[in-house]
Order: sequence, then C-alpha cells, then structure tokens
Amino acid sequence: MRETAESIGRSVQGRERPAVEVARSFVERAERTASRLGTYLHRDAERTLAMARDVDARIAAGEDLGPLAGVPVALKDNLCTRGIPTTCGSRILEGYRPPYDAHVVERLRAAGAVFTGKTNCDEFAMGSSTENSAYFPTRNPLDLERVPGGSSGGSAATVAALEAALALGSDTGGSVRQPAAFCGVFGLKPTYGAVSRYGLVAFASSLDQIGPFARTARDTALLYNAICGRDERDMTSRADAKQIQVEELERGVKGMKLGIPRDLIAEGVDPEVRASLDKVAKTLSDEGAEIVDVTLPHARYSIATYYLIAPAEASSNLARYDGVRYGFRAKGEDLQSTYAATRGKGFGREVRRRILLGTYALSAGYYDAYYLRAMKIRTLIRKDFQDAFARADLVLLPTTPTPPFKLGEKVDDPLAMYLNDIFSIPASLAGAPALSFPAGMTRSGLPIGMQLVGRPFEEGTLLRVARTWERRNADALRVPAIAADARG
Amino acid sequence: MIAYETVVGLEVHAQLKTASKIFCSCSTTFGARPNTQVCPVCLGLPGVLPLLNERAVRFAAMTGLAVGARIAERSVFSRKNYFYPDLPKGYQISQYDRPLCVGGGVDIHVGGVWKRIGLVRIHLEEDAGKSIHPEGREGVTTTLVDLNRSGVPLIEIVSEPEIRSGAEAYDYLMRLKQILVYLDVCDGNMEEGSLRCDANVSVRPQGQALFGTKTEVKNMNSFRNVERAIAFETARQIALLNAGGRVVQETLLWNADKGTAEPMRSKEEAHDYRYFPEPDLLPLDLTPRWIDSVRSELPELPHQVRERLTQEFGIPEYDAEVLTETRSLALYYEEVARRAGNAKLASNWIMTEVNGIRNKEGQAIDEFPIRPDRLGALVKMIAEDRISGKIGKQLFELMLTRLEGPEELVKSQGLLPIDDDASLRALARDVIAANPGPAAEVKAGKERTFAFLVGQAMKQSRGRAHPEKIQDALRKELETS
Amino acid sequence: MPIDETVVHKVAALSRLEVDPSEEPRLVKELQSILAYVEQLQALDVSGIEPTSQVDAGGKTTLREDRVVPSDVRDEALAQAPDRDGDYFRVPRVV
Repeated sequence: MRETAESIGRSVQGRERPAVEVARSFVERAERTASRLGTYLHRDAERTLAMARDVDARIAAGEDLGPLAGVPVALKDNLCTRGIPTTCGSRILEGYRPPYDAHVVERLRAAGAVFTGKTNCDEFAMGSSTENSAYFPTRNPLDLERVPGGSSGGSAATVAALEAALALGSDTGGSVRQPAAFCGVFGLKPTYGAVSRYGLVAFASSLDQIGPFARTARDTALLYNAICGRDERDMTSRADAKQIQVEELERGVKGMKLGIPRDLIAEGVDPEVRASLDKVAKTLSDEGAEIVDVTLPHARYSIATYYLIAPAEASSNLARYDGVRYGFRAKGEDLQSTYAATRGKGFGREVRRRILLGTYALSAGYYDAYYLRAMKIRTLIRKDFQDAFARADLVLLPTTPTPPFKLGEKVDDPLAMYLNDIFSIPASLAGAPALSFPAGMTRSGLPIGMQLVGRPFEEGTLLRVARTWERRNADALRVPAIAADARG
Repeated sequence: MIAYETVVGLEVHAQLKTASKIFCSCSTTFGARPNTQVCPVCLGLPGVLPLLNERAVRFAAMTGLAVGARIAERSVFSRKNYFYPDLPKGYQISQYDRPLCVGGGVDIHVGGVWKRIGLVRIHLEEDAGKSIHPEGREGVTTTLVDLNRSGVPLIEIVSEPEIRSGAEAYDYLMRLKQILVYLDVCDGNMEEGSLRCDANVSVRPQGQALFGTKTEVKNMNSFRNVERAIAFETARQIALLNAGGRVVQETLLWNADKGTAEPMRSKEEAHDYRYFPEPDLLPLDLTPRWIDSVRSELPELPHQVRERLTQEFGIPEYDAEVLTETRSLALYYEEVARRAGNAKLASNWIMTEVNGIRNKEGQAIDEFPIRPDRLGALVKMIAEDRISGKIGKQLFELMLTRLEGPEELVKSQGLLPIDDDASLRALARDVIAANPGPAAEVKAGKERTFAFLVGQAMKQSRGRAHPEKIQDALRKELETS
Repeated sequence: MPIDETVVHKVAALSRLEVDPSEEPRLVKELQSILAYVEQLQALDVSGIEPTSQVDAGGKTTLREDRVVPSDVRDEALAQAPDRDGDYFRVPRVV
C-alpha cells in the first residue's frame, strides 16, 4: 500500500494483478484505520470492489484505461456522486444523493479509478481543521491528538494513512494545501479554471478549485492530468490547462528563479518551519536554481480580503438550502419560520457565522465599504503576484506558519483559525496554481509543508521543482509509522 | 384645485421564444405537466453551473437594436438574492449595473400625436418557477411549487417615467408587443404570462419638475387592465393629496374584478437584494461584428412597414397602421393589393370585411380561410368593374366556406353580371311592367322614385345588373313605354 | 461600522437563519472581532483600482446553442424532496 499510484496503475493495466486485489487491500486497510481517524463520511466496500471488478472487466475486454487503472481514489464529500451520499459534512444535506456525477468524478470513472469513499471535511469546506464537520472530526494520522488540517482533512488524512492511493479535495483559501502540509502529503490547488467545478458543491465560486492529494509529485501529476481541461458545463473552465508530461518532472531546476517573499514571512512563523524553508531553498539552490527576494506587499491584507469575499459568495451559494427541494427540512408554523428553522438547525456554527458575515458584507449600505473594497484589494494582490513573476518563475513560501495544532485548540476562536491561512490565501485570491509538498518533519515528528506558487497553468513547473526536492530527500519524505497503527 | 400630471414608468417582462431555457437545456414549452421540464441546473441542485443560451442573447440584442438602444460590448450578470419557494437557487441571475441594452425608445400615437417614450434599459434574466396557492379547500395551509418555468429566459424592458396617462401606457404596450412579435422573439401572450407588466405610478402638480412619491402596481393581466389600474391609482393618489394626505411608497396589487389596487398583504422586511457579480458566468462580451450581424438580420419593423405601405401603395396612414398590426397581416395585405391592382380597395376589404370576421371569431390572419390569392382575385374583379361590390360580398361569403376562387364561383352560382344591352333592356321592361305606379310617377317627373325602380332592378337580378348601365336601360325603356 | 444585536437580527432575517438567543451574545462578539480585523482594509487607498470579481485570466464568453436536451434525472432529483403533492413540491403556505 505504500506503493505509488503510478505503480498500481501500471501493474493493473499491464494485467500483472487484478484491480480487485488492489481494492481489497485498501478496503482492508481502511477497515482497520478509517473509523479511528474519522476519514470517511461514507464508505461502501462492496461498491469499491464492484468498481474494481468493472475495471478488470474493461481491461480484459482490451480497453486501455491509462495510468489510473484500478487506482484507489478518495473523494471529498463536496463532490457530487450519482446515487452516493454527498453531504458536504453538513446536516442540511444528510441523506442527499445527487442525481448526477461531478465532472471530475466522470473523468475518474472513465479513467478506471476505483473510489474508496467520500471523505470527511469541514462543513461546506469552511474551516481549517475538519472540526467543523457536522458528523465527527478527522484526526491527523501522524498524531491523533492533532488536526489533519482542513477543510479537505479527510482526503489528506486518508492518503497519508494509506487508505487510498490518491484523493481529491477542494481548495478555496487553502483547503487542499494546508491539510496536505499537516498530513505530510502533496496537495495541489490548480489554476482557477484549470479544473471544471461542475458538480463541486459551491462554497465561494470565484475561488473554489478541485485539487489532487498524493504521496509523490509524479502521482500528483497523474491525478491532475485526469481531471484538468475545458468542460463545456463550466463557463469558467479553461482550455489552457496543459497535461503534465510526467517525465518532464525529472528535468531538475537548473536556471529557474525562485522568489521568496521575505516581507510576508517576517513574523509569526514557527522557527522549525522557517528552518525548513531555508533548507528547501538551499537544496534547490544546490540543484542550480537561483533564489531571489520578491515582495507581495498586499498579501498581508489577504485574510481580511478573503473573509469578505468568500463569505459573501457563500451567503448566496448556500441560499439554495431551504428545505424545499432536497435535504433537511425543519418543521415550522409557516414558510418563513420553516426556512429559518431549517437553516438555523441544518447549518453548523461556522457556516452560520459566515453566512451572516457575507450577508452583512453585501447588504445595502455596506457593499461599497466591504465587498467592493475587498474586490479592489484582490486586484492589488493579483498585481503583486504579476510583479513577483516578473522577477521570479515561482514563489516559494511555507504552506502554514506552524505545524499541525491540537484538536480543540482553535475551535472557539474563529479569527485565530482564519489567521492560520495567511500563506495559502494569497494564491487563491490571485487564481494562481499552488502546491504544498512535504518538506520534512519537526523534531517532534510533525510534518511541515512548503508551498510553491506559479504563473497561471504552470502546474507542471511547480511539480518539477517539488520533484527535485523529493528526489534529494527520499528518506525525509517517507511516510512514518502511522499513529493509528501504533494504537491499533 | 391643483391640476395634477400623471407620471408612469413601465417595467415589462417578456419571455423569449427560445427552445431551451436561458441557463440549461430544458424545454420552455408552456403548459407541460408540473416539474417535468426540469434538470439539476434549473432545480438549483448543489454543484450545478449556468450556461448562457446564445439565442437568448441574440433575441435580447435584436430587441435592443429594434428600439434604437445601444448594445453593450460588455455586459455583466449579477445575482439578485431573495428567498421564495419558486426561486430554486435563492437568487435570480439577472443583469444589474451593466445591462445588455441601454437607451432607445418606443414611439406611441395617442390623440393624433406621436410621442417617443424613452427606455432606460433592457436586460436579460431568468424567470422563476410558479407557486400555486390552492384556494377554496378548507384548512389548506400549503403552497405548491412547479419549476417548469424556472430558468425561462426573460428580458426586462424598463421605460423612462415619460408616460403621462393610462391611454399612453396602453399604446406603449401595444407597440412594444408589436415590435416583439414582429421580431418573433416573444409571443406577447399576457394571459399565459409571456408578457408581464408592472407600473410605477406617481402624480405631481402640473409644471413641477420634481417627481412625486411613486407606488408600484403589479398583477395586471391585460393591457386594458394596465390602463385601468393606472387610471385608478392616479385618481387615488390625487384624491389623497387633495385631502391633505401623503402618498406612501408601496407595492399594490391590481384586482381586476373589483377594479381597485390594494396594498400587498405581506410583512416581509424592506427589500435588500444584495446584488453582486455572478461568479459562475464570465462577462458577456459581444464583438461589434456580432452586433452588426444581428442588426443586418433584423426583420422589417412595424414603423418601416407602415412607411413602405404608405409610400409604395399610397394608402392613408390610418390604413397602414391598421394593416401593420401584425407582420402576417401586412404580408397578407401586400399580396392582396398586388393581385387586385387597387391598393386602397384592397385595404378597405381587409379592414372591413376580413377584420370584421376575424375580430368576431378571434382569428389570426394566418387562420383566415380566404387566402390572399383568392381575395386578391375577388378585389380585382370589383376593381375592374366586372362585378359589383354587392356581388363581391356574396362571393366573399361563399368563399369563407368553399375552396373555389371567385371566377369559378361567379359562374357556378349564376352570379355573372348582366351588362349586355339586350338583357338589361329586358330586365328594365320587366321592372316597369311589374311597377306601373312608380313608373308613372317617374314619367310625371318625380325623380326620387327612379331610385326605387333601380333598386327593384337590382333586387330582381340579385345584384347582378350593372349598376350604371341598368339606369340607362330603365331611362330608355321609360321613354319608349 | 459597528455590528450589534440589532444588525445581527436584521442580517439573520435576511439570511433566513434562526439564531438561538443563548448563542447570540457570543455570535455578536465573534462577528465584531472578525469585522474589527477586517477594518484594516479601510486604511488602503483603492481609488482608481478596478475590482476583481473573478479571475478570468483572459477567458472568453462561450455561449450554449439553443437546443433542448431533456434531463434524464428528473425522477431521481424529485425523489429527494422533503415533501411533495403529486408532481409538485409542497411547502407551508407562503402568506
């Protein structure tokens, strides 16, 4: 199970071993660990095995499924799966079964991937710890007392815990990268528009992107390749997304310019995280990259900007959960009280908080001061990146200021939780591709993630740099003994 | 007593005649079984995204061009947020601060005067579904929702507050509808809701520049009701002001049965739609080339046809106006006029005979049984004096239920005119013989009785006698008898 | 721009969200602290800056052809309804 997705796909497509055998070993693994980790909201071993048998039949019939043949992939529970529960970690969608598949789900089915289940997440992807799931929290496989990050905590944890070879999450302000960093895996937020959002339950439409989790740079590329590209059902999806040639990732970083935004990371960064950044920079410099300073002068405003834009869009996106056509409905005396009770009881605290905040930011009299102003500052942040990319090919910075924190540590202080996203949000506002890759461990054995941000549609370049680091640090990156096992 | 001026602005919603909805591929057909024309997009399921219909954009641009509006090369969709059970997403995708069409106007003709009503804007948006509130059943406390209409494309056409009476509003609506129907972008059916109108009504002392407080009147299901509602609301406001009261800005619902407008019974809070740019749609960018191509493909518009008919056929403006009511009627007329070779006579026949029957039967011109080739042949016979108008009418009646042309019918029905001398003289002799008294009176110089003899001759010949020649024949016979 | 209980009530009504009275003081405090943090944006000069409402990265408007494609998921979709009356969705009376 430590095997890469690349190797699984090759052996299944090469008929060296049936997909069903691969699936069974992952299912057995999940049976042992998933409930303790809280990685899945919905898991159906029979369905997983049936998908694997179908893959075997297709291969037997001579179909060439490509590199993901028989590869076990986990799906965040905000990706619509036809006939399979999709709750977004919310009570308001308890029991909801979408009548259609998300674009990425269709793509993965066609590619012969085998779904392990729907992973736990912060409700409607709002959160940074997966503690906002309405059902149960997810635990960090490397330290069960700590959070896996969020909102795609279940997807990151399930890959780290070897319950799935790959996973999809969604990233609005860091929800793929931050849990990837906290769980010691790769997590890519593609360029806005690179992956169709059709069937991704919307949180903040102008920021949401679906992204892959994997344990290697090459596996990350394979999953990205399977989901990227123009989809006519999403007007904001783009044909510019390029397939990554996996062998290109081996070409090293000679001559590349990596910019470090020293101004942004001057304060509040854990010393071990800072040391890790220096080590990565040194390694890449040794490999022939040039390290330069860049500035992102407006990035320090990004959290404030984000916490106006994202809740504003969310307040509108979540208006459809009214108990009329699907999902939970509370009993009320009349229509208005039914609405209020349905939404008041159906949504958790963080979601309600953001709906109120977003409604406020859009309401008459406040729109200009809040929402409009935030959109203008978003322009300035995008411009910062454009300027940085005039000086450097990529921007290198930590994914998070600290290693994973403990469950319950920030759950009562929303602002402290938000501030954890300071390094991931700027790329989200700019729409730029960004990758978190495992950069080693703290002395106490907690993972540290480093982040690369690139020009639009340069996902391949990000992975090439990360692959260079990965090659030099194969040992440092090996997933350590999983806490879940130790206690098992 | 102060003289007041009425100030009205109209907001018209027109459903566009596209095959599919504005943001999904569901059918727009009216009257289907509830919730059969729905899909994840128009049901507002989690995770769906809107896809803009090209024809909806084209139809909206055509309308804008037809009324002389400027078509924006970039327009933007926004979300209008409010909760209602028939609004599946909790927001309506509409255009707000950057509409597709800006400006333009509609020319109206009231009291013999032409006047232009300016337009503020025309924008694209999606329709909501339908809420049905079952009435009459005791204890019914539910509302039923049908989403077949959810996502049907609409344009909203907003006029400047330049309408000054109910009659002007009526004419504005007639002409706007005429344009939409000529363009074939909307069927203009107010009963089925494909055309809807809300009125913003205020009054102000004659000569005052500042507008008075306005009320919004909704729920009018015909143009006549719009006219009545405006008259009612204007009178109400004036009476209120004259009594020392103040107009309150509010929404009123027109009750056609009672002929009154009543405040909407609802305790909802003040509207705050929280508009913001729709992130799921890119700005709508149209190239000047695309706009030009739409312009070049515009069909002839009512005023253009009107002008052409007066110039090409020399008919009076009034006739042209009646005959251009619909595009089909104008086409019908043109063919009749060409075949008849007498434009004015053709116009008269259509305005009186054809429209008389159509109005009685509620028939569209395309359903009228006498097609223009046959009517043209009939009018031509009259124009060439081959039959009298009276025979013409008899033939017309026959043609309503029979397929033959007038030439055949005139023969088979024995309606050929009597215009040869011998037959006319014989007829005259018969009439004089049968009416000795009147004949004697005429001979004695009582000219007025001559008309009676002519009438008798026409009657006896069932109108076939040539009206002038029979007079000659009678005179001659009277002289010789 | 302060946010207090009155504003929270108004915004909660606009959002159709029932707020438990016992939760309210804490909610007001949380929102106040977030908005206090957000206040830092007021210090920036944004005159002449165009707003970014979406990152279109040079994207072009694409339009859908006007063609009817009946949905094959209607029954599956309607089966999700919390309450129905025949073909209709049913909700408590609007007025």
